[in-house]
Amino acid sequence: MVKDAGFDLTVAPSLAQDQIARLMASPGQPPYDALLVSPGQSDILIQEGLIEKIDPTRLKNWDKLSPAAQNAWGPYVTIEVNGIAYNPEVVDKPAGYKALFEDPQCEGNLALIGFGSNTATMAYTEINKAYGGTYDNMQPVFDLLEAYLPKIGAIATSGSNQMTMYQQGEIAVFMASTGNVAKLRELGMPCEFAHPETGSPSVPVAIHLVKGASNPDGVYAYMDAAIDAAAQTQLAEPPTAMIPTNVDVPYSEVVSQFVTPEQVANAVYPDWQAINKHRAEWTETFDRLVVR
Amino acid sequence: MIRKETLLSWPMIAFMVLFFISPLLLLAGISLRGEDGSWGLGNFAAFLSDPFARGVLTGTLALGAKVTCFVSLAALPLVMLYWHAGKRLRGLILICTLLPMLTANVVRTFAWVVLLGRNGPISQTLLGLGLTERPFSLLFSETGLIIALVQIELPLLLLPVFAVLNRADRKTLEAAEVLGAGRWRAWFSAIFPQIIPAVLAGWVLVFASATTSYVTQSVIGGARLIYLPQFVYREVGVLFQWPMAAAISILLLASTGVIMLGLTMLARHERLQGHA
Repeated sequence: MVKDAGFDLTVAPSLAQDQIARLMASPGQPPYDALLVSPGQSDILIQEGLIEKIDPTRLKNWDKLSPAAQNAWGPYVTIEVNGIAYNPEVVDKPAGYKALFEDPQCEGNLALIGFGSNTATMAYTEINKAYGGTYDNMQPVFDLLEAYLPKIGAIATSGSNQMTMYQQGEIAVFMASTGNVAKLRELGMPCEFAHPETGSPSVPVAIHLVKGASNPDGVYAYMDAAIDAAAQTQLAEPPTAMIPTNVDVPYSEVVSQFVTPEQVANAVYPDWQAINKHRAEWTETFDRLVVR
Repeated sequence: MIRKETLLSWPMIAFMVLFFISPLLLLAGISLRGEDGSWGLGNFAAFLSDPFARGVLTGTLALGAKVTCFVSLAALPLVMLYWHAGKRLRGLILICTLLPMLTANVVRTFAWVVLLGRNGPISQTLLGLGLTERPFSLLFSETGLIIALVQIELPLLLLPVFAVLNRADRKTLEAAEVLGAGRWRAWFSAIFPQIIPAVLAGWVLVFASATTSYVTQSVIGGARLIYLPQFVYREVGVLFQWPMAAAISILLLASTGVIMLGLTMLARHERLQGHA
């Protein structure tokens, strides 16, 4: 679709944090024209003045987006719903986040990652709330982690590292998105998704126009293609299994196995400004806690 | 005035200045910038005054030392075999040494994920032999990380030693034996001194590679074993603290550089050079 609009598209797969790091390293000469990130990173990009608001009139599919997906800084192209991935051949369905630390079947099977991961950060803030903490007081979750460390299966360095460990049978439970579960299933792994008892932390994923982009017209063409019904219908199928934001696109069979529109509407949408305010300090604390 | 015979080296020197020295100086400059925009050694002081960060630094250097030590132990029988082998066997050993280097470090690291896991051949073999009661995993442990790094870095020590052995004079060995030395003593007094500079060069390569091997350290070691490369990545990719990341990088460069310089100077020592 982007090509049909007369533009070339180069996709450079990279972690959201890496994308920001590269943008910060090249002020005035951005290495990307567009970025696909979630609100945690969007907030930093806005604060650092690295992205600009878009002109919705340049997107012919704008009106097809659900109102919640019509973001002034760039359209939301999907919603990432997070929860717990588990291997049904090894453990029963975990009742929720608290069960990861309280249910004996998770001992030695649970993998964790640090606060560099959005999925883990959202999970920790929800677990923290369940144990009486707040964004300004994460001590309950750190106390919990410290006590649980001897029973941990693995502490991986990234979400993809966790998935590698899962494939190798090293772990059977980890905090994941529905997309992670769909990917593992596509690879032939037995994998199920469990919604946390406190609601599934979710994040919309936006395409942003980078300030100083070399080809803004191309970015608008890319945005329009990504919210087009035909593209979202295709992306809702495995292995991507993305939740559509275009109102004309129904949930695919595989997406429906994980989540319903009602669950998405009632999901937990974390306060990313509060998270970003403390994230560096939480990252430091987590690292110091887990390092042998 | 530029001497005529050095002309050929100038493109390389220019390349090094442009793409190595200049970025390095830039990095050093960034490392001196404080959070409030001031200039000074604050980032270095902050890092070195933090016991956790100092632990990461010493842990990284210790990892390099341990890997270098175990690589040397693993290389010794192969070096002996190579010395005594005929032409065809030498070729075979050389191919076996080079073969892993033809695959990327990432591929070799992920191969070790399979080997070291609880369902991998190491665990399953020991389980089958009754040497362990249950499957075990060497992933996310320093033992597993050292095993993987030893295999990955081994060619860096073997190749320079093999190169020296290829041109080593067997007559010196015969002379030592004629003079009454036993086979082991003759080897260690006549051949071993010849390969010492190559061993030291290999140690430099192994040490530098092991301490900076981000992929292997993070994939095999996991998050509970933090080394300086992961620390640098965290500062840039998670905390966006470029000046601190630059300061840590300079410290990593300086600390490994001092050790490498020491080994290089040792390799160039005239008493050792005399044997080569």
